[in-house]
Amino acid sequence: MTFSCFFARRRFVPYLEGQVPSGPVARLERHLERCARCSELFARVKAGHEAGRAFGRLAPVPPGRFSDFEEVRSPDRRPWARLAAFAAPALVAAAACIVVLFAVTGRHQAVGTGGAAIGPAEITPSGAFMKLAIRDFGIDSRRQVVTEGYVQDVYYDEQEQTLHIKLGERSGGTGPFVICEVRDAGRLTIPGTGSRVRVYGRARFDAQPGRGWHEVNPVMEIAVLNR
Amino acid sequence: MPPEVSSERALPRTGPADRETSLILAASRGDEAALREIYRTYREPVWRVIVSLVGDVPQAQDILQNVFFKAFRGLSGFRFRSALFTWMYRIACNECRNHLRRRGPATVPLETILGSRYEADSAVPGGGSSGPADTLRAAVRDLPFKLREVVVLKYQEDLSYEEMSRVLGCPPGTVASRLNRALLELELRLRSRGGAR
Repeated sequence: MTFSCFFARRRFVPYLEGQVPSGPVARLERHLERCARCSELFARVKAGHEAGRAFGRLAPVPPGRFSDFEEVRSPDRRPWARLAAFAAPALVAAAACIVVLFAVTGRHQAVGTGGAAIGPAEITPSGAFMKLAIRDFGIDSRRQVVTEGYVQDVYYDEQEQTLHIKLGERSGGTGPFVICEVRDAGRLTIPGTGSRVRVYGRARFDAQPGRGWHEVNPVMEIAVLNR
Repeated sequence: MPPEVSSERALPRTGPADRETSLILAASRGDEAALREIYRTYREPVWRVIVSLVGDVPQAQDILQNVFFKAFRGLSGFRFRSALFTWMYRIACNECRNHLRRRGPATVPLETILGSRYEADSAVPGGGSSGPADTLRAAVRDLPFKLREVVVLKYQEDLSYEEMSRVLGCPPGTVASRLNRALLELELRLRSRGGAR
């Protein structure tokens, strides 16, 4: 497949819908005259497109009856759903309890001058981690990094079903930040908002529309430096 | 040429953005009237997506309840990065994907099996609930889930590439190439079934 094949194929459906401007249309049509493979694929995409349009015109399968609003709204009628509703907060609460327990029992011995500081040697996961300031995160490096910052927000992402920690260079909501994605919240200590933490994990860049931010994903370990 | 999407099936893109914003804010505070309005507005489009993706009415009904249950629970975390309808569709697609993954490949919807018998008996052109329509639905339903999603969102729900990319969480270029693959697969499956166009 040539470069022009690649771009021609991307325009098949917009072309069929009349959404390609006249200049590119002429180029596309010239390409289809010259390229037998693209011409064959275009004929098949066109047939598929017609089938898709016919599918779109079909009457939707009726639901019979929609559930009453109360059935959807009330968790009392759906005990398993109620369980799921409380699972995530309970997980976070359990993790918070573990943090407190560790702090009280002194699992992590304090080092340095800060009483609540945790010795990095004790919590460092195995493997090499490159020290990286939040403002220095590059595009999708996928390297294992360790970074430090202030927890600006902690929330549970319903769609991805992961815990997200917004980590900023400053404790306020402004300035550079990274989103730390915790896939297994039960295994890690979940810090409170405003605390300073050190996060170990893999650097990534989330290019999804509406996002476009740097991430530590997955988070491998979190050390709370200052509550 | 008949319209691809009739007026009653058009998306509830909810009018002015500030109206949607106030509705979401009220609903996220637990306002029953706002939650009820969201349910009334979105249950039909969300239903269409779910039933086309899973192809089974009782399972689709369960998934619909889950989608709204999760949406209501997650509204307080809604960040206004997308319109509410793309967010609802995204939850619906994720829920269908998780459901099908949990269910595994062992079971086949009864309609899929019955559909192949209907095809032989009927040759009424133009859709409806006759043979070609069943063949078409079955061909879409046979597509791999990722390809089925784009066909349903594009042709049934009339979403743009940008809207689909928000629902599916991938760039518009990926949506375009996935749509091409879906249409090639669809054409192949219909050809092997002997038409239905």
